[in-house]
Amino acid sequence: MALATVGLLLSACSGGGTSSTSSSTEDTTGPTGVPSGNHEKGGQVTIVNVAGQTWSCQFNPFNPAVFQQSQGFVYEPLVFVNILNDQAETPLLASSYTWSPDGKSVEFTIRDGVKWSDGQPMTAKDVEFTFNLLKKTPALDTYALWTGAGLQSVTAAGNKVTMQFAAPAKVYFFNFANQVPIVPEHVWSTGEAAAHPDTWADDKPVGTGAFTVNNCNPNNIEYTANPTYWQPGKPYIQTVEYPAYLDNGPANLDLATGKGQWGSQFIPNIKAFYLDKSPDNHTWSPPVTSVTLYPNLDPSHAATSKLEVRQAIAMALDRSKIALVGEGGQEPAANQSGVVTPTFDKFFDSAAVASAGYDKPNTDKAKELLAKAGYGPDHPLDLSVITVTGYTDWDASLAVVKQQLAAVGINLTVQDLAQQTYDDKLYTGDFDLAYYAPPGGPTPYYEMRLNLYSKNSAPIGQPASSNYSRYSNPEVDALLDKYPVVDGDAQVQIVKQIGDAMMRDVPVIPVTEMVDWFQYNTKDISGWPTEHNPYAQPAAFNIPDVGIVLSSIWSKSAQG
Amino acid sequence: MRYLVRRLGFFVLTLWAALTLNFFIPRLMPGSPVDALRTRTHNRLSQDALEQLLASFGFKPNANLLQQYLDYLGDMFTGHWGVSIGASLGQPITQIIAQALPWTVGLVGVATVIAFVLGTLIGAVAGWRRGGVLDSILPTVFVITSALPYFWVALLLILFFSVWTGGWLPHDFNYDSTIVPGWTPEFIGSVLVHAILPAATIIVTAVGGWILTMRNNMIATLSEDYVRMARAKGLSDWKIMTGYAARNAILPNLSGFAMSLGFVVSGAILVEYVFNYPGLGYLLYNAVQNTDYPLMQVLFLLFTAAVLVAVLICDFAIVALDPRARATS
Repeated sequence: MALATVGLLLSACSGGGTSSTSSSTEDTTGPTGVPSGNHEKGGQVTIVNVAGQTWSCQFNPFNPAVFQQSQGFVYEPLVFVNILNDQAETPLLASSYTWSPDGKSVEFTIRDGVKWSDGQPMTAKDVEFTFNLLKKTPALDTYALWTGAGLQSVTAAGNKVTMQFAAPAKVYFFNFANQVPIVPEHVWSTGEAAAHPDTWADDKPVGTGAFTVNNCNPNNIEYTANPTYWQPGKPYIQTVEYPAYLDNGPANLDLATGKGQWGSQFIPNIKAFYLDKSPDNHTWSPPVTSVTLYPNLDPSHAATSKLEVRQAIAMALDRSKIALVGEGGQEPAANQSGVVTPTFDKFFDSAAVASAGYDKPNTDKAKELLAKAGYGPDHPLDLSVITVTGYTDWDASLAVVKQQLAAVGINLTVQDLAQQTYDDKLYTGDFDLAYYAPPGGPTPYYEMRLNLYSKNSAPIGQPASSNYSRYSNPEVDALLDKYPVVDGDAQVQIVKQIGDAMMRDVPVIPVTEMVDWFQYNTKDISGWPTEHNPYAQPAAFNIPDVGIVLSSIWSKSAQG
Repeated sequence: MRYLVRRLGFFVLTLWAALTLNFFIPRLMPGSPVDALRTRTHNRLSQDALEQLLASFGFKPNANLLQQYLDYLGDMFTGHWGVSIGASLGQPITQIIAQALPWTVGLVGVATVIAFVLGTLIGAVAGWRRGGVLDSILPTVFVITSALPYFWVALLLILFFSVWTGGWLPHDFNYDSTIVPGWTPEFIGSVLVHAILPAATIIVTAVGGWILTMRNNMIATLSEDYVRMARAKGLSDWKIMTGYAARNAILPNLSGFAMSLGFVVSGAILVEYVFNYPGLGYLLYNAVQNTDYPLMQVLFLLFTAAVLVAVLICDFAIVALDPRARATS
């Protein structure tokens, strides 16, 4: 299968949004490709993403405490996969790739003419070295490629790199091609980096990315454009400031005043606090996963292990109202099939949701189901839900949930717990209901697998890796196992079938859709990802998407 | 002398007890560094890899607890403080502390001294002219402000002096990050401007206590015989107020001040948090959030040592100043 060259199929589109007559402000791009227009270089952007820590000025791209400031900026993966646009692929360090017919091996052609920021050429040998480094140092293999995904070998020959897997591995493409940063062998094979690649600070990172670290102190990281970047003309922006915000309050204030242009966290009451402050302030927060109620399915929890009770809860919730009141309308309502819309519309079966009766709240049906389960005005049902203290939007959402459940005769107690206590209870299954948002992936399959696959569960009292409600259904397991070995339409069908199981068994109850928080200022900067051109995940904490956005935005004042 | 030796012995015993508690209490808290890291990375990464990574950075949850404790005691005294296993994963603790300590001591320390000096002055004058205009307004106002929560005062100040005035005074960070730190007037000016609002918050909420105690001490002292004697000698009011009354009234306040200097190091968590001020208080909050044992241990060590040393100096000072302390020992 040849690599789709999204973003290279050019079609004119006046995405610049300015009245400038200069042709350089016209974005030439496909409707959903990474913009590749021709702009003058110059300008500066300030990222306002609350990392909740001062910078340690380490840039080891495998250290999960710092990789969000390293990958995308300095280090790049082989291929960029866009979650928001049906997994559209943009080739980066690999110019193309081919899968073997059985899906067990993939051959990447490594791009010619790419240089590391110290001037040395980047070759297939570096790619081979990187993946074998993960094998040699398991602490770096954060996506468990060698242990979980069944990677067997990675070998380079000429400008090709072949990865051999034990089983069909297309489903892991997102992780190994899109999320593993390629590092230079000539740096990482000597000295401290070679001796302790896992704990090495890498304070002067050498990468292929569009930016290099110019200056770092605990308060701020300053990146400057890489003058020898392999994409001609890019990046347009020459300086990136990344201040270390400890909390949302100061960060959001700096966004509102325009001191920072790129926001990535929840702003309560965003219209008055941010949007009304300037016509240049915009927001677009695309949904990527579901904020979900996890009922405890273990028989030790008599109520939530009853199907009727879970169905009643799912029926009783008016999700649109929860999204509107709890999240101020900034998150859309979720649906019981567990497919995040509109992001994954292709997989969504609205007719099935309607025929199962989950398209709108139905309090009468909910009361009926509860009565069938033996609860009613005489035997009121008392349930508690755990959430994290300090997540104020979740508190507000759960207050609405509580109200709506009270209407059908369920008395819900909201337990606000400290993060550590909450984690402990969530993982070990010590709850009636838990409010939690799982990580997503390039298709709904990833979230469904986390929530529903029985191998991700564990007995009550032991930490489950991601199936916190302890759902186990051989039929669903079989579907999840089948997904990786089939293609295209068959995958869509499988997701729809799992969606049916979501409505039949109600193993988890999606409530609202978790979004990628994104606020942007267009006074000087243009070329941001938008609803009409979602060319990358827009929040600055997404890797490698942050690098794609940074090399696509440009400064209006720098255009002659 | 025996008194001093006993004080020193007490100091060592307290330090050991505090160090022991500092080791065990964080480990009794729910949660683990692995869970915290897992949460911070949104459950996206492999649990095995995270555990191995933390192990590489020196987190050994399965080692013998007694051995860990003995190692810890040794490390605390030899300065082998290790690296963070929390939000600053891999950064040496000494470096983290060295970057944050000057800011906290500078901000909270200076603010505490200003609050003390200001409070004592106002208290002395108010006590001297009790019932006067000053006495009926200032103590009342500041006692009320000292009852207000830190963070609320901070938010009000930000609203008045930063938001409504279009950014008169900066509301976050300790200096303008576009300026390269150095002994330049530009940098020093930026640091001072950035300190105004957080320092004002601390002063406004702390000054009331000093005013009240100083005023009351002053009133008690003014009824002493030696003050009457000074009046009888015909000394000037100024001289009686400063040389006879305030000089004695300030003694109890001084020991309180020494104690509060000890607490400076622990920072003002909420003030640092609201103003995005990267000091020790914020570090402590973050270390607890992320179950960062090495960082927590060292921070607690610093806090206890600072308070204990302050108390010790205070004890010594009292011996030097007050003959009665020597007599009772």
